[in-house]
Amino acid sequence: MAELVRINNLNVRFHTYEGVVQALDGVNLTIFQEETLGLVGETGSGKTVTGLSILRLIMPPGKIEGGEIFFDVHGNGLVDLLKISEPEMRDVRGSQIAMVFQEPGSALNPVFTIGDQLTEGIMLHRRHEIAGLAIDTLDRRLADEKTAGFFKPGLVTTRQVLRIVKANPKSRLVRFIQRTPLARRTLNGLRAEADKIAIAMMREVEIPDAARIMKHYPHELSGGMKQRVVIAMALCNNSKLIIADEPTTSLDVTIQVQIVELLKKLKLEFKSSLLYITHNLGVAAEICDRVAVMYAGNIYEVAGVVDIFKNPLHPYTQVLMAAVPKPGEEPRAIGGSVPDALALPSGCRFHPRCSQAMDICSQICPKLAEIAPGHYVACHLFQGEQSGTAH
Amino acid sequence: MTGLKFFLHNLKKNPLSFVGFTVIFIFVIIAIFAPLIAPTPKGQFNAYMIPRAGYTTVPKPPDAAHPFGTTEGQYDIFYGVIWGTRTAFIIGLTVIFSILIIGLTLGSISGYFGGAIDEIIMRVTDIFMAFPSLILAMAVTIALGPSIKTIMIALIAVSWPPYARLVRGDILSVREEDFVKAARGVGSSHLRIIMRHVLPNSIYPVLIMASLDIGAVVLSAAALSFLGLGVPTGYADWGQMISFSRNWIVGTVHNPFAYWYTVAIPGVFIFFFVLGWNLIGDAFRDILDPRLSRR
Amino acid sequence: MEFRTYLIRRLLLLIPVLIGVTFLIFLLLQFFSPAQRAMLYIHSPQQMRNLDLIIAKYGLNQPIWKQYWTWLLQIFHGNLGWSTVVGMPVTKAFASFLPATLELAIFATPLIIFTGIFLGTKAAANKDKLIDHITRIAAIVGWSLPTFWLGLLLLMVFYGFFSGFLPPERLGNAMDAVIHSSSFIRYTGMNTIDGILNWKWDVTLDALRHLVLPVITLTVINTAFIMRLMRSSMLETLGKGYVLTARAKGLPESDVINKHARRNAMIPILTISGYLFASIVNGVVITESIFDFKGLGWWAWEAAVNLDIPSLLAFALFSAVLFVITNLVVDLLYVRLDPRVRLGASEQ
Repeated sequence: MAELVRINNLNVRFHTYEGVVQALDGVNLTIFQEETLGLVGETGSGKTVTGLSILRLIMPPGKIEGGEIFFDVHGNGLVDLLKISEPEMRDVRGSQIAMVFQEPGSALNPVFTIGDQLTEGIMLHRRHEIAGLAIDTLDRRLADEKTAGFFKPGLVTTRQVLRIVKANPKSRLVRFIQRTPLARRTLNGLRAEADKIAIAMMREVEIPDAARIMKHYPHELSGGMKQRVVIAMALCNNSKLIIADEPTTSLDVTIQVQIVELLKKLKLEFKSSLLYITHNLGVAAEICDRVAVMYAGNIYEVAGVVDIFKNPLHPYTQVLMAAVPKPGEEPRAIGGSVPDALALPSGCRFHPRCSQAMDICSQICPKLAEIAPGHYVACHLFQGEQSGTAH
Repeated sequence: MTGLKFFLHNLKKNPLSFVGFTVIFIFVIIAIFAPLIAPTPKGQFNAYMIPRAGYTTVPKPPDAAHPFGTTEGQYDIFYGVIWGTRTAFIIGLTVIFSILIIGLTLGSISGYFGGAIDEIIMRVTDIFMAFPSLILAMAVTIALGPSIKTIMIALIAVSWPPYARLVRGDILSVREEDFVKAARGVGSSHLRIIMRHVLPNSIYPVLIMASLDIGAVVLSAAALSFLGLGVPTGYADWGQMISFSRNWIVGTVHNPFAYWYTVAIPGVFIFFFVLGWNLIGDAFRDILDPRLSRR
Repeated sequence: MEFRTYLIRRLLLLIPVLIGVTFLIFLLLQFFSPAQRAMLYIHSPQQMRNLDLIIAKYGLNQPIWKQYWTWLLQIFHGNLGWSTVVGMPVTKAFASFLPATLELAIFATPLIIFTGIFLGTKAAANKDKLIDHITRIAAIVGWSLPTFWLGLLLLMVFYGFFSGFLPPERLGNAMDAVIHSSSFIRYTGMNTIDGILNWKWDVTLDALRHLVLPVITLTVINTAFIMRLMRSSMLETLGKGYVLTARAKGLPESDVINKHARRNAMIPILTISGYLFASIVNGVVITESIFDFKGLGWWAWEAAVNLDIPSLLAFALFSAVLFVITNLVVDLLYVRLDPRVRLGASEQ
């Protein structure tokens, strides 16, 4: 399979007043085309930061301080997203890479309708396409209403404007027209086409009565519905990569099941890659093709989903699996607690809690190595003295 | 982080607040040591009346005897601004303290008991708020005659409504919390619940508003005195001293700034006093509001 | 609830508030002698000679309830009393002073609101950068300045130092003569507008020149207030989830701030608009008295200093009505700005 995303040695630091937090510490991760990769770990392990980094949405006091994030932007090879300009990055956000956030309630702006928010992304990134559609609609109308000569001048002007939009969707001229009160009306056709796409998308995510919901405000919808809207927003522009950050965590269990089923269905239909961030191993097992395990800012194991559950190699992964309560068994907690982000342990971050820790573990941080086909582990148990960097 | 450490840490984060504390500290020193800095002339009974070096109208520039000069009617500016500091503190602190008490009491009663009591108290606050504060203060001052007590009563009457409203709002939201219901379940009396459970949670926004308001109160008092509706003539009050300078701001034919000291000096005192309190109030708000201070 | 019902209900609520306000002043008035209070009832100078009769007629020695009722009846007959300060019936005085204050308010209020919102937004969007620091300091300084001191200082510099460049009062002597001449028709009473309507641009220019300092004085403190509030409101809004979502969609930063964040950030500003209104009214009184700008504020101050009760009462009535109407407008704006609010919900 071809690579879609390759993260190399990503370093993200947060410069807070209490000190510098190393949120991501040389993260290496690959996402292939059309696969669902689960990113699993406890709270504070850096999963969300990883997701945000791919979109270059780390805000001060956080800063991406090293590494590369390669992404197949134009379909002809990997480009380092960290090196492209901000306008180019904005073109990627929302169209090539989309994100679904954890809290649907706060992800939607309370003062705009669902329709406004859904069509916003469509009109921004698919302008060329919907301008074409709008022109077609307009042509049909012009052909039909030969008798409506009164409207003709207006319609023809509108058509001209739409042609300009189609030719050069992101030009200054278009932005100017968007802002001018009367001229703006010529762009109504765009909204109409975007509405159609939005309604179609809402049907995909199984929102009933989609046309009516478009006019509603977020506070009028239930949590599950809101999350479907957010998912619809992410799917609107046929993105190559969708990053879902704990999309079901804040929902009722019954709704959770529905959303997971929905995501599975959409996964097949849309052929995009999905980076599924969660701390819930059960859901990861349901939906992911491969799973990456994250701890304290670094990836410690990556493997196919069946592999990682049947044969976890890293001590942390093993403990994680064991901690999931199974019917009839006592739940087994992991000893110790997640390290203080301001004072990470030296060497391997997990060594203070690791039952199989060796001397070398406190000195040198292990790197990911392929132990079995497609199964990577970062642990001295499997690597001998070869690789690793001192921290 | 514990209390004091947290406080100092925030102070470091916000250097302007440090300036605020310093400024107010200086004013406190001035106020306390006023009799030493600007001694009252022998034989003068009321220390707050500014001594006059004559009765001519034209202000005189600063010299050895009068470090800040004299204003219209030969009132010594130096004496006036030093003792004016005391006046400012007296008015500011008394008014704020009083409206805190009134606001907390009425707001708590209104919010906690609800119903008809709430409606009545809220209508009363509406009425007081519908009044432009200056006019009400003016009316009170006219009715009761000029004196420092009048200003304080007028300002209290004008400033208490927002506090009552704020407290009421907080209590309305806290009232429904489970721990209040639990306290009722155990049989605590209303007063006990208000004092021990409800108020401690609602008090922070009120304190923030109070610290931001001291400056505003002093400004209003100065405005009233400036308009001639506050303290009696000749009382040591910054606002009144500025009112004495009104006729002299255009200076003489040759020098427009000839009498600058009459308007600039008292004004500078007011400005820095209010600025200091505003900076402190800001600091309090940054510290006590958890969302903002987590940056 | 239904819009018309809501409107009627709110306007009806005006009445108890007015009653409360006027009764409050009435209470204060009892500190004055009957002779002074008699001024509330006369409407020509001749009547002043018959004060005893008037006192008897209106029962000024009777219990306050009866007096209050008598006075209310008076008002409904359109008689608000005689203003000693300007020597004309209160109603006439009010009408003659209203345009000046209106003019001042029309120039100052949009300036306050738009500048405050604009600067507050800019400061929040550029947090901790230079523009933020400058704005914050300007806000704190502006908020700490006494209005009257600022006014005097401005006069000292721009009138005294720059020899009459920006003078006090409403019009210079020359233009004053023009507007009082027979060829000049007073459409609105506002010199700037009347000047244009009469096609006498020099009148308008002169009026504008006289407006500059009062408007600045009135604006500074209130803009500072709005700026700070807008900044903190904006900062809070920028931390919200939908702002991150907007950025994740690839929206340009200007859209994120101006479209998504700002509308939500403006909602708390509406909440304090009652306070802002009171502040502006206070500012008007002080500003007009400093600049000798003969409007309602100036009239109120003169009335207070000269114990002109009827004028004060009229001014209080006016502000109360204005306050209630402002609140009504604010509540309606709430509904428009925030879809979560239903009519009547803000009365909680």
